[in-house]
Amino acid sequence: MMADALALLCAFLLVAGSAFALTAAIGINRFPDLFTRMHAASKAGTVGSSLLLLAAGLYSWDFAVFLRALAGIAFLILTAPVAAHLLARAAKGSGYRISTLSVRATHRDNKK
Amino acid sequence: MAQNILSAAIILSLGLLTLALLLTVLRVVRGPTLPDRVVALDMLVAVAIGLIAVIAVKTGFFLYIDIAIALGLVGFLATVAFARFIMSHRYRAATETAAKPPPEAVHRGNARRNRRPRRPRR
Amino acid sequence: MRRLAASLILAVVWAVVTGSAAPANLLLGLLLAILCLGVTRRHRGRGTIAVRPVALLLLGLVFLRELALSAWSVAIAVLRPRLDIRPAMVAFPLRLKRDFEIALLANCITLTPGTLSVDVSEDRRFLHVHALDCRDPQDLCRGIAETFERRIMEAFP
Repeated sequence: MMADALALLCAFLLVAGSAFALTAAIGINRFPDLFTRMHAASKAGTVGSSLLLLAAGLYSWDFAVFLRALAGIAFLILTAPVAAHLLARAAKGSGYRISTLSVRATHRDNKK
Repeated sequence: MAQNILSAAIILSLGLLTLALLLTVLRVVRGPTLPDRVVALDMLVAVAIGLIAVIAVKTGFFLYIDIAIALGLVGFLATVAFARFIMSHRYRAATETAAKPPPEAVHRGNARRNRRPRRPRR
Repeated sequence: MRRLAASLILAVVWAVVTGSAAPANLLLGLLLAILCLGVTRRHRGRGTIAVRPVALLLLGLVFLRELALSAWSVAIAVLRPRLDIRPAMVAFPLRLKRDFEIALLANCITLTPGTLSVDVSEDRRFLHVHALDCRDPQDLCRGIAETFERRIMEAFP
């Protein structure tokens, strides 16, 4: 009974995680510019891989392995925003233009 | 019963992840600029981590999780190195001499601008 | 005292990651922790940072909830047949002063619905945020200020 529930939970996590990863991959192709693509990659991608790692950790039914999977998730969640931020900053600094809209004009005065 | 559902879920998620990998590679090929490719490569590493986790469940060989963590570390370092490279490399020179967009083009966004054929950069 | 606590925490993390709590392994972790702290000593800031544990825990929970919401909303935005997004770059006026708080806020912003932190202005007064679907910049800024910025201020008085 317990093993069945665990298997079902893992099955759900696996499908959900890979669906998020696929969504991120579709988003990276559909979105119009670099920054919007980064939204898809940094959020849906991170959550997808985290869910898959969580599934692997739970399915092992071993506390040490589960802790390692959690450490992997924590690492992923800590590094994904740092990488996205650095890349966005580099792209902005090197003159990559965003697909602009009128919203930006209202805040142009605030820029340095 | 539950084991059957689990193995079906494993097959399904392997299929979805393969599709995700292919789509991400498509973005790496299409570009159009270096930062776009780096985002796609970062994403590729994330999907590969997920794939390794699924394979760990499939084979019951949980040492794969350590491999996934190591891959995440390497992928993060690669992305940071690429970001530093883009920052230091005067990438601006290539984009600005290629095209100074007219004012109304800025409002239409650069989805259009990116489709313009670019000179190959070496 | 602080260094001892930090090396103990790092040693425990080492034990978790290597998956063994044997005394020899813990000792190896402790040695590595002391080595790492020694190497990075010149790059760490001075002075202590006061922390309110309960507020910090709340911040973590809010963060996890927002992360789940954000992945969901991005997935919805991607899968909608017509691409209905309105990207914008918004300058968010910072009330936080210390560098690590700004870094924490930037990380939280990146993983929450529809926003991605891009850059901090030289004088640390504005955080440039890219929004995926932004109808109203004032509204966006107010949202960030009321959830994350306030909670970070509460966690680190």
